[in-house]
Amino acid sequence: MKILIADDDALSRRLLEKTLERAGYEVTAVENGKQALEQLSKLEAPRLALLDWVMPELDGPGVCRAVRKRSEQTYVYMVLLTSKGTKEETVLGLESGADDYLTKPFNAEELRARLRVGERILLLEDRLVEARENMRFRATHDTLTSLLNRGAIMDLLARELHRSHREKKSTTILLGDVDHFKRVNDTYGHVVGDEVLIEIANRLLGSVRSYDFVGRYGGEEFLVVLNSCDPAFAPGRAEAIRKSISNSAIQTAKGSLSLTMSLGALMSSDWGLRPVEELLHEVDTALYKAKASGRDCLRMAQPTTRTEPATAPVLEPARLRR
Amino acid sequence: MKKNEDSHSDPAWNLAELLERVDNDQELLRDLLNIFKEDFPLTMRSLETAVAAEDLQNSARLGHTLKGMLSSLGGVRTAAAAARLEAIASAGETASLKGALDALKCEAASLLPELEAYMAEVRH
Repeated sequence: MKILIADDDALSRRLLEKTLERAGYEVTAVENGKQALEQLSKLEAPRLALLDWVMPELDGPGVCRAVRKRSEQTYVYMVLLTSKGTKEETVLGLESGADDYLTKPFNAEELRARLRVGERILLLEDRLVEARENMRFRATHDTLTSLLNRGAIMDLLARELHRSHREKKSTTILLGDVDHFKRVNDTYGHVVGDEVLIEIANRLLGSVRSYDFVGRYGGEEFLVVLNSCDPAFAPGRAEAIRKSISNSAIQTAKGSLSLTMSLGALMSSDWGLRPVEELLHEVDTALYKAKASGRDCLRMAQPTTRTEPATAPVLEPARLRR
Repeated sequence: MKKNEDSHSDPAWNLAELLERVDNDQELLRDLLNIFKEDFPLTMRSLETAVAAEDLQNSARLGHTLKGMLSSLGGVRTAAAAARLEAIASAGETASLKGALDALKCEAASLLPELEAYMAEVRH
């Protein structure tokens, strides 16, 4: 494990360095508080730090305060080394953000034991962060396909539409629906249906750029958001995405299945800034037209076709199309 | 003053404690002694200048540095003398500063030969 030592006394620094190397730590040693803060701000910085109290440039408590002010970085376990012994000074040190303190001259065994406490705390923190990240992922992703779930992709779409409007760029929204998917479930069962959905999700992800978004919108409906997509290329890109489904059969436990996808698409540059729900209604109408035109095709939403008032019931036409 | 009296019962150099601290690593011990040999006279000279100029802030800072250096090395009594000087300078007792420096030099005079003797011994 990496550890940072900050001490202006060369003798004490060397002693700490050797003691900690012997205990298996990967040691970085610096001679003042400013350098310590620089080291702790780096990527892959040490997460354990031994800081002398009195140092030039910035003292140990100063380093602790500066590190604790940051909220975006991982936790650093900091131990102050001090020859100060009064209760008031101990309180001051701990209130600056230090996790522990050790009186100089240190006892090697005690130092190692206290650092092991630090490692335990950091391990707990890692587990906590991991659990939080797992929860965040589960809250924003579809459990079957691991794509963004409906809520998450709607949020991202709303943000992206505002951004593209602000930057005078165009966002392309694609709504895809697997053709005759119900037949897959009815004929081969839901397990195979799930396999198909997972493969389709993978193909969609594989056919977009890393900064585009793909989400599961509903049962067999997928929403794809192509960020900053030049309107001249949008239909071509949408066609490529459609073909990624129909080009080759999907291998399942019950054999290979040839499936297609109908797509409705909309370029935000044609519509201006409108509520997400309204634009999705238009994409859904285009998807409905693709279904009505024989499926396995793409239809673009055209502003001139918009006749409903803004308060029209959302997504109703789609319910007719399967 | 009690602490002062107590410190007279301590050895000038607690080699046993230092050996324990370095896990009996003779090479590390030599390293530390070499660092000390280089840093101690420089810090002492700076301290003498600060005391002569009645510069309390620098006297306290240098007293603190010497205290840390000496206590890490097991120079118990000299470290205690450096701590007293730091305390006097921090308390603003300018009148006592020169006396504290003399006491520190006196303790150092008994510590340094011990360190030199040890270094000569381990060198051979």
